[in-house]
This record gives sequence, structure tokens and C-alpha cells, in this order.
Amino acid sequence: MDNMQIMKGKMLRAGYICDDKVATVLYLAGAMKKPVLVEGPAGVGKTAIAQAFSQVTQLPLIRLQCYEGLDEAKALYEWNYKRQLLHIQAVANKNLSVQQIEEDIFSDNFLLTRPLLKSITSDSPTVLLIDEIDKVDFEFEAMLLELLSEFQITIPEIGTVRAQHQPFVFLTSNATRELSEALKRRCLYLYLDFPSKEMEKQILMLKIPNLPPSLAEKVAQVVRQLRGLELKKPPSIAESIDWAASLLWLGKEDLDVETTLQTLTTVVKYREDQEKLERIIYRDRDLNFRA
Amino acid sequence: MPVLQYLQAFFADLREQEIPVSTSQVRDCCQALLLIDWANRDYFYSTLFTTLVKDYSYQKAFDEVFERFFNEYLSPENRQYFQSVNSEQPSHSREVTAVSDYDIGMGTPMGKGGTAQAPGGKKNPLQQDFGRISAEELTSIEATVPLLARRLAAKFVKKRKRNDQNRLDFRRTIRSSLSTGGIPLNLYTVRKYREKPVILILCDVSGSVMNFSCISLALIASLERFFQYIESYAFIDEVSDITGLLLSGNPLNFRGHVLRNARVVGVTGYTNYGRTLEQFHQRFRHRITRKTSVLIFGDARNNWQENGKWVLAEIKSQAKKVYWFNPEPVSQWNTGDSIINDYMPYCDKVFACPNLVELEKSLAKI
Repeated sequence: MDNMQIMKGKMLRAGYICDDKVATVLYLAGAMKKPVLVEGPAGVGKTAIAQAFSQVTQLPLIRLQCYEGLDEAKALYEWNYKRQLLHIQAVANKNLSVQQIEEDIFSDNFLLTRPLLKSITSDSPTVLLIDEIDKVDFEFEAMLLELLSEFQITIPEIGTVRAQHQPFVFLTSNATRELSEALKRRCLYLYLDFPSKEMEKQILMLKIPNLPPSLAEKVAQVVRQLRGLELKKPPSIAESIDWAASLLWLGKEDLDVETTLQTLTTVVKYREDQEKLERIIYRDRDLNFRA
Repeated sequence: MPVLQYLQAFFADLREQEIPVSTSQVRDCCQALLLIDWANRDYFYSTLFTTLVKDYSYQKAFDEVFERFFNEYLSPENRQYFQSVNSEQPSHSREVTAVSDYDIGMGTPMGKGGTAQAPGGKKNPLQQDFGRISAEELTSIEATVPLLARRLAAKFVKKRKRNDQNRLDFRRTIRSSLSTGGIPLNLYTVRKYREKPVILILCDVSGSVMNFSCISLALIASLERFFQYIESYAFIDEVSDITGLLLSGNPLNFRGHVLRNARVVGVTGYTNYGRTLEQFHQRFRHRITRKTSVLIFGDARNNWQENGKWVLAEIKSQAKKVYWFNPEPVSQWNTGDSIINDYMPYCDKVFACPNLVELEKSLAKI
């Protein structure tokens, strides 16, 4: 058993199946203390990998969901203005010096820590997941770059806060825009693609313990065919799990044309996609999905 | 051949394939290599890939170089040598550039100065001219088109969403300050509503722009998924509405799909911009409104026929913007039967997009 196999085993127990290549990257991320940039299509388990990793290492997961217009006040820290205001009013007739009041209101008590600050001020190391980094703008990315290289944050009123423990950082991206070279250089790169049929079958059986292997195989195979078609949104792993689970609930032993037509809505979510698949199924009367 | 030199040749070869490999990446790579078991090909590959490649589109190029260098990949005894080299010289970055005396018999690398060149030359396929790419390369380029479309869509959406630099909404700010004793804690700005982009695309699908039209059709297909208001028309010497048609086609053969399912070939079968424009005027001119951006993809090679530029002039006066994307480099414009100059006055901008990188750049400018 080498380190990669141990990592694989641990991830499996955390409910995440990964191959040797992914395990190698995870192991290196742990050993070299480098952030991991995870890219790949939607629904291949980019976020889940960080969650599983936090389970493996038994460290708390801190998640920062990025979105358009995310700014430092929401990601790093913010002063609790309302509390500061109340405090000033409360001490207004207590004859405190201005300096004293200022010291009070700019102390930790009035600081709202947001995910990034939380992850570096935490008492134990943490797993920091920065989800969908491609959604934020360049200014924010530059700020993040500083954080990831120095692991410190400067708050003008308090001073520089240095990380006591360097967090394990995962960044995920859907590649809707090019990330800066500098950010990419700092990270280990991991591209996750949809799993092979065999692996998807294993995932299904891991997630739904009483799923018959034959059904798992069939679902894995059909989902794989669906991903090969040009769909608006190819089914994700989560959707194929949902599908298999719903088939099990319906008491189906096998996946045939009728069943597929009935349960199609659990696996493709767009009207156009559904119509397209129905057309193909009615035309061929089988589940091979020839284009 | 010492391991370090061999690796160095490997890095050099990657750079030659235009995969950007920086010194810090090389350092990371060497550091990581010390942590893993080289005897396992997957570990070894994954370590090199994760530290050296930061973009999935380079994977194919990387795989080729990797195959060439590490086909008879490193055996355990080689690894021992590598480690002893490392323990003697602790600084990784220096040691990579240092010439080592250890010779561990790895055979001659076929990298720099060698005979083996990656098929397709050293150029990134995205930077190769549309006119000169093979069918296989075309497929690999087409695969990246949806990504390009998504980036464009993201850009348009982003433009729409930026609201923070707008004028202060005084009334709302004061109104909300009442609940905090007259102190304006939250500032509100006036929202600016942008019009949703309405796009109309005219795409030349004739033989002279074969590769380019494949790409532009793939682009249209992707854009149709992202924009609500988009119409597309294809032509050779007859113009036909192909909006929505591409959603059902095989992405690898959009052009064939259009030629089969839309009436784009008229009497002669040779590109005729004049006839196309006049027909467009007759049948579809009402589709153009003040909000429409018109994008034309074509080389303006008109087989010495009427140019019909008055139609374009009229389109220009009615539409919001008119952009022309020409797959030929500027040097070839107006040579032979190219009449791009006739149309230029009626376009807001004419772009030369001989390869995908240029095409993306020009699309980003609009």
C-alpha cells in the first residue's frame, strides 16, 4: 500500500470514488500544501471532491460560493456597522475618550468574519472550498492571489492577520472565463471528466447500497450514451444517482424503453432535451441513442 | 543521459509545443516527483500533468510529448539515482538547470534537436489558419467552440449586471435611512437596464470558406443556446433561415446538415453576395430592428457579380450595429474576386479572423 492507495481508500470511505490520477493530485496537494484548481463540466463532482477531502482529513470545510459581484466585504471581513453604531450610542454619556471608543469599536467583537478570514484565523487547519471562481471579476481574483500566496490578510484598523495553519484550498471552475496565469501557476491542476461506465457503476452502487448491479450497469450505460448526445445539459453524476434511486423506488428491475420514457424527467431537466430524447426513443424503440 | 537533463529536455519540448511551463512550475514538478513512486505510470503522469499543465486544452499536446519521452518510462533504479542527485543538491530549481554527471542510460531523448516532431507541427491548432487545417484538427477546434460561446455569453451577461457604478438612488437611500435614525447605512444606486442583445447572423457556407463556415456554424449553434433573441441565416447564392436548425444536427457535420436541410443553393451554386443580399432584403428585411446587431461571416468573394451593397447600406441604417468577420488575413482582402472594400463603408467594423484565436479576440471586441 503506497500513499496513493491509502488516499484512494480513505476517499472511498468518505463516499468518493477516484482513480489513481486523482488520488495522486490529492496526495500531492496534501504533501506540498498547494491549492488545487479543479476544472471540468458541471456535475462531475468538483465540489464533492473538496467535501470528501475534508471528511478524509477530518477538518472543517469552509465554503465560499462565488458569484457575480462578490466583494471583499462578503468574502473576507466586514465591520458590523450597526453594532458599532449602537455601541457608540450606548457609551455616549459615559465620558469615555474618543480613542477608547475607537479601540472598542474596531476590535474583534465588531468584526464579521467571512469565509476567507475564517479559514485563516481558525484554530485548526481547515479545508477551504472556493466554488466557481470563474464567476468573480479580475479584481477579486487578484486579491485572492495574494491570499493564496501569503496566507495573510491585512485589515487596516487591526493589522495583518497571518494564518496560524495553512488551509487546504480547493478552487473549482467551469471555465466560463480564462483565469489569470498567475493564479493557475500557484495551483495544482486537476481536470475531472465524466467517469467511465465502470466507474459510474461503482459510484451508483456505493451511493445506493441495495441497487442491483445489473440495473446499475444499465443506468451507467444509458447515461453515458446520453452524455454523448448534444444536449443542452448532459446528465450529471448526481442526476444519474437520482435516476437509479427513483428506478429502485418504482421497483424496476431493468431499464426498458417504457420505464425510460416514464422517468426521463429525473435525468434530463430541459424541455428541449426531453423532447429530443423522446423523439429518438420513439424512432429507434431502443436505448442506444444513435444520433 | 542524466535524469535531470532528460526532464529538462522534456520541459523544453513542452515549451516548444507552446505549452507555457514556467520556472516555478518546473520547481513544483521536481518537488512533487520526489514524493511519488515513479514505477507507477499513472502517478508519474498525473504528477507531471498537474504541475505543468494548467489548461485542459493542452492535454493532447502534453500527452504526445509525454508518450515520446516516457514510453519506456522510468524504472525504480532510475528513481534512486534521481533521489541521490537531489539529496546532494537541495535547491531544486538550481539542480534542474545544473548539468549532472549521473548517467543512467535512458536512451537518447527525441526531444530538442531530435527527429520526432509532434504531428501537425509545433503550432497550437487554435492559432492555425482556417484555410490550412486538416479535417482532424478542425474537429478538435470545433470542440472548443462551445466554450468560446459560453465565454462570450458570460461577457455579455456580465456587462448587463454591473450596477455598482451607477448614479445614487437618492430617494431609496433616504427612505431606508429612516429606519436607522437618519444615518444612511445602505446606499442604493439606480439600476440601469440594458437591452437584451438581439443578434442576426448571416453565414456564408460556400466551398471557399469551408473550414471557417464549419466553425462559424458551430459557433451559431452554441450561441443559440445562450441567447434568447438570435436568428441565423445561411447562404451560398440563395439565403435561408437556419434558426434552430443546428440544434438537431450532428455537431461534427453542421455544414453538411445545413446544405441538406436548408435551401442555400440557387441557380448557379456559386457564392453570390449580391443576390443573397437582395433576397434577404425581399424576404427578411422586416426582421431587422433598431436593436439588432448583424454579424456577417464570409470572405466577400463574389465571383465577379453584382455586389448589392445598397442592401447592406439599408441594413446599416436600420440595425444597431453591423459587423463583418472575414476569414482571410487583411493582405488578401480585395485581391481576386474579393470585394470586401465595397461593403466596408456599411459595416461598423470588419475583422480579419484567419484563426480561432483571432476570431475570439474580434468577438470579444463587439
